[in-house]
Amino acid sequence: MVWHIFKKDWKLLWPFFLAVAAIQFIPAAIRVKLGLFGEDPVLEYALVPATSIACLAVAFLAVAIVHQDSIPGVRQDWLVRPVRGRDLLVAKLLFILVLVEGAAIAAATFQVLASGFSLRESLTAAFFQNLFLISMITLPAIAFASATKTSMECIIAAIVTYVGGAALLIAFAIARGGNERPASVGTGASWITLSAGLIVFVLGTCVVLGMQYIYRRTAIARGAIAVSCVLFVVVFELLPWKPLFAFQQHLSSQPGVAHSMTLSLDATLGKYHQPSGLTLSDQELWERSHKQGSPAELFVPLSISGLPADSILKADKSELRLISSNGQVVYRGSGEDLEVRQEGTSNRQSSAYQEFDIPQAIYSRLKSQTLRVEIGYSLTLFRLDTAFGIPALGGDLRSPKLGWCETQMNESGSAVELHCMQAGNAPTCATAFLENPSTGMRNPSLSSCEPDYAPHFLRSDVDPISHYGLNLRFRDPSRLTQYPVDGPQLPKSQVVLRLYDPQDHFTRQLIIPAISLRDWEST
Amino acid sequence: MIQVHKLWKKFGRNDAVRDLSFAVPEGSAFALIGANGAGKTTTIKILMNILHSTRGTAEVLGIDSRRLSPRELTQIGYVSENQDMPHRMTVEQFLAYLRPFYPTWDRELEKSLLRQLRLPGERRIRDLSHGMRLKVALASALSFRPKLLVLDEPFSGLDPLVRDEFMEGLLHQAGEMTILISSHELGEIDGVATHVAFLDEGKLLFQESMSDVIARFREVRVTLEREPAAPTHAPSDWLQLRTMGNVVSFVDTQFSKDGLGERVKALLPGVRDIDTQPMGLRSIFTTLARTARESAV
Repeated sequence: MVWHIFKKDWKLLWPFFLAVAAIQFIPAAIRVKLGLFGEDPVLEYALVPATSIACLAVAFLAVAIVHQDSIPGVRQDWLVRPVRGRDLLVAKLLFILVLVEGAAIAAATFQVLASGFSLRESLTAAFFQNLFLISMITLPAIAFASATKTSMECIIAAIVTYVGGAALLIAFAIARGGNERPASVGTGASWITLSAGLIVFVLGTCVVLGMQYIYRRTAIARGAIAVSCVLFVVVFELLPWKPLFAFQQHLSSQPGVAHSMTLSLDATLGKYHQPSGLTLSDQELWERSHKQGSPAELFVPLSISGLPADSILKADKSELRLISSNGQVVYRGSGEDLEVRQEGTSNRQSSAYQEFDIPQAIYSRLKSQTLRVEIGYSLTLFRLDTAFGIPALGGDLRSPKLGWCETQMNESGSAVELHCMQAGNAPTCATAFLENPSTGMRNPSLSSCEPDYAPHFLRSDVDPISHYGLNLRFRDPSRLTQYPVDGPQLPKSQVVLRLYDPQDHFTRQLIIPAISLRDWEST
Repeated sequence: MIQVHKLWKKFGRNDAVRDLSFAVPEGSAFALIGANGAGKTTTIKILMNILHSTRGTAEVLGIDSRRLSPRELTQIGYVSENQDMPHRMTVEQFLAYLRPFYPTWDRELEKSLLRQLRLPGERRIRDLSHGMRLKVALASALSFRPKLLVLDEPFSGLDPLVRDEFMEGLLHQAGEMTILISSHELGEIDGVATHVAFLDEGKLLFQESMSDVIARFREVRVTLEREPAAPTHAPSDWLQLRTMGNVVSFVDTQFSKDGLGERVKALLPGVRDIDTQPMGLRSIFTTLARTARESAV
């Protein structure tokens, strides 16, 4: 009877379905129109509401389909008919997951195809991107719908749950003191937390649907929704970093590649010198001008050895412990971003400064003491995967690894914009520089390394296409900096784009037996 | 056909059904009567496995009602005053949707019911009046010739014309089927029911065949030679005992043509005349309801 129920819903809801299917194509068409450089501000503004409406439309249709034969209540006609609950469930899931999500996948496929990717790439990207939306939006919508009688009830329940979840997040943030973030936020391993959360949603939905369609236990189903939401927040907030990173280590593509890498204090580097304000971005300058009462910045000089050629070392997390002479831990905190690049073939020693921001009150109390410092590093070694050369002006390159990249001069004529897009997940760690092959001159390389270690097929975004890129300066409007490859050389120059792959996730412990914090303040 | 044994249903702290036991014989037209809130609809919803009982058991077609499966539901027709039918469907779409679920669905019967009940097949259910919707529910419940037809307050809110059409449709097809009907519209039940059970505040006051009920209830008017003193020890089976001048009236719930005269004379001296009148179901119901309320007070 599954097919029979499916046909009944189709007869009743096909106009609604066609409208929702059409809505899916609006953000897809906007994204195609925006292309690589997205220079139409009207379309850019329209994209966010169009995407939200497309997601909400799918959720609303899913709710409407479920509510055609709602579960809670005692008046529904189907309750006294020889209709099996599981037939009803399968029919509803078939409609939502095949037809409704099929329309969303079709729209995403259209977008990727229209951006010049192959049918296979398009279908794969569209399918996996929708898998995320299904577990994040559609399945919870089905669960809410099955535990409510009307759309209005469902919306109210969703709002109440959202507000409750937000309150719980705020409570956790207050409990953390408002400074620390949840363990995985901002790291490449955040996909594990998100996946765990989504698994909670999927399992919760299974429980809710089972309770409703097989046993008609609305109170238990509603409880399961509440528990799932609380668990989602708890997983997001409380999943500890160490087991999370251990899991990531387990997934290393080249485990042991970084076994010879060491980290040590290199006092010979001396104190860190803040760069001239002229080299800082507007954002950094603004931050510096608003630093009254801001934390003390310490820079610990590090020597890193054993880095392979053409590699990038990235600290996913650095956990600092300051221990007083009597063995008491007097401060715990996290270090700022640490990225060490080893470009070229030489296997020399590298150095870097590890920044720690310590609250002023604590710093004032500890700065003159001799402390033992322990830094627990969770690190990832990236190795060069591929390098591409693209003409600096008007470059247009497509490749399966790279996706599609183009170059153009920026409006002020001071930088080359390199913009790329890739179907599905793009490389998350790349460096690029301008090079004049005829002279062999090259500008300093820039990196864009915000890693995401999610398996390639796991795409957690509303866009089936990833965008990445860099702005490569060749002219300093203030004329204080001269670039080896400058404007006149651009027609003969190329952008060299180097893509890096995460190969090994590993940990290192740096112990400095005795240190005085004031020695490592910046100057 | 239906067996209910010590059934309880609580909603929070309220007992909607209390220790209810009754049996619906096969082939009977069993009326469950009682005032609003007596527990009739709750009992029926438990029988249909829409609600679960707090205690006790209910069997329908020999199956525990909590285990009623689609197989049993293919043999049970159900019509309720507050049935939510798929309002976006037309009458024809609705019936066409239901057909495959019932192996015994009779297309000819369906057509004849649509004609007899004067149902507009092309109209959406949401555009129909309450009475028309009830008739759609009846047509959908009769078209598969159910063994058991459950009617929950089917006459509620119907105008007399629609009520007649509904009853005609029902009686025309009733045949061998067992009917369980709950109602407080006793005039309609009077001509249909073969058995009756009276519920008050979730409790069963009695259950018996309609002929027995009609036979044992009598309105009695006793004319005395002079105005009597208030009787101090009236039998418990005399209800609504009233005195007006030299006339004493009451409802005898255990009427026996032979025994009444002697019992009256033993209690009321100076009997000049005894007049007994058979009672309709409506009068019996109101008498019982009033008595139950008075005793509760």
